[in-house]
This record gives sequence, structure tokens and C-alpha cells, in this order.
Amino acid sequence: MGVRVVRMAAILASGALLGFAWNSWSGRGFVLGQSVFVQAGDEVIEPAEAKARLDRGALFLDARPRDFWTMSHVPGALSLPEEDFDKAFAALEPKLRATFNIVVYCSGYGCEASHVVARRLREKGIQAAILSEGWPAWTDAGYPVTK
Amino acid sequence: MDRRRLSGHEVINNRWLQLALRLGLGGFFLYASLDKIAAPAAFARIVYQWQVVGPVPANLVAVILPWIEALAGVLLIAGLWKREAAAVIAMMLVVFILAAGSVMARGIDVENCGCVSTAKVEEPSWFKGVGWFLVARNLVLLGAAVVLILPRQRTAS
Repeated sequence: MGVRVVRMAAILASGALLGFAWNSWSGRGFVLGQSVFVQAGDEVIEPAEAKARLDRGALFLDARPRDFWTMSHVPGALSLPEEDFDKAFAALEPKLRATFNIVVYCSGYGCEASHVVARRLREKGIQAAILSEGWPAWTDAGYPVTK
Repeated sequence: MDRRRLSGHEVINNRWLQLALRLGLGGFFLYASLDKIAAPAAFARIVYQWQVVGPVPANLVAVILPWIEALAGVLLIAGLWKREAAAVIAMMLVVFILAAGSVMARGIDVENCGCVSTAKVEEPSWFKGVGWFLVARNLVLLGAAVVLILPRQRTAS
């Protein structure tokens, strides 16, 4: 007797149902339609919106390690790496407090640094939007970069 | 005393080997699922790091995969739908091996593969991240699953 595909399908389907049910009712679930990094209060914007803000003079902050910023970054972007936040923020604070249009980015949807940096800025009373899917989304859209 | 070598079929058909493989493979996947079921958001963060699929598909993987692992593990341990449960596990292992190969080929550094734990890795180690150990281990597990999938020949009485 061969392997019964119907039984395999039943295992997969049951697993999926259990997973969705657990996510909905266990209290440990999360919103499936967006990045798990997004928390209440985060403002996440798409690359097109970010480009429009750049054209209106927005200040971009690069939350990646400094070496990545050195290689290339969004034109005019300043380096504010998550791993060195306190020191970098202290140096940038006067400029950040004088700006009302800030966008933070990092290295893609697998990178939480931009979300962490945006939240830490918010704790200090500075609002910043987060570029959805970060640097790869910016470069894939063909937007300008500085090297 | 006439000693003869066991054939491959006799080795595979050995009920103690079958039992050991069922309990071992089923127990491994059931154990591996527990932390991921307890912390689905943390597991999603790990799936993102593999950068194989986008964030929303990765969320679905994080929510569904651990429960399939748990269910297949329980079925193997209980001895129910053994070959089908082993086949599901084998399918998952093939996907894991291909995904690990993709991560390694792209030079992505994933410190915690998320295989059995979602805890943040304090010190990277060769047996926790995505690398050759992971691929080798999954190939061994795949071999065990294939043995369980193979049809058992009934011996004539």
C-alpha cells in the first residue's frame, strides 16, 4: 500500500488550522498581514512616500552599522546605527530636534534596527517614520543613492 | 553455526529499528515545535533573517510550520499514519535543506536557525546557526524519514 496523499494533505491542513487557531486565540499571536517588527505607534511608509518626503527635504537616518552607511546611503542620510545609538544620537541631537521630517531605514525586512531606532527617537520626543523593507526596497525602486 | 548477512530489507523491516526511528524522529520534531509554538512572533523574526520569502509569507510559515511539526511528531510517536507523517517530515526537511543552501550561497549570517529554539543567541555557534552542521543533521533526519516511508515487506509465515 502506497503513501496516502490524502492523509498527508490532512496533516498539513490540520497543522495549518491549529496554527491559525492558536495565533488567534492563545494570546501569543501577532498580526499576520504586516511585519512582526511593527508595534503600536510605528509609522511605516512605502518607498514612494519616502522618496516624496526626500524631495520635500526630509532627513534620512541610516540605522545600519556605520560601515554600510560608508559604502552607500540615501542622499543626505546621516548614520545613526542601532548598535551605537546613544553615542551617535548625542552627536546628532541638535540637528534631529530641528527637523520635523525624519525617515529611518535599515537593511531590509529582516532588519529590526530601523524600528528600534524610530522607537528610541520617539522616547526622546522625536517622531520618525520607518521605510518599509529598507535599503533594498529603496534601491530596487531605482531611487538615488550616494556612494 | 550458519550465520548469514541480513539483507537491506530485513534491516529496514526490523521492528526495533522502526520503533527507534519513529520515536527518535517524532520526538525530535515534537520537541523542536514547542518553543516555536510558545513564541510565534520570535520565530517569525528568525524566519525573516533567512530572507527566503517576504514578511507576510514568513509570518504564515512561523504560525503554521511548528504545528505541522508537532502533529507529524505526535503521529509518529503514536504509530498512526506513520508513513504519511514521515513523508510530511521528509518534505519539510527537503525544503529546510534547500533553504539553508540558499542562505549559505547568499552569504547571509543567521545565528539561530530557529530549528529547536527561538532564544536569542548570545554567542554564535556552529551548531545553532545556518551552516554545514545544519545541512548534515537534516540529511541524517531525512534518511531516517525515508526509511520510515519505505514499504515494509511482510515476511511469509
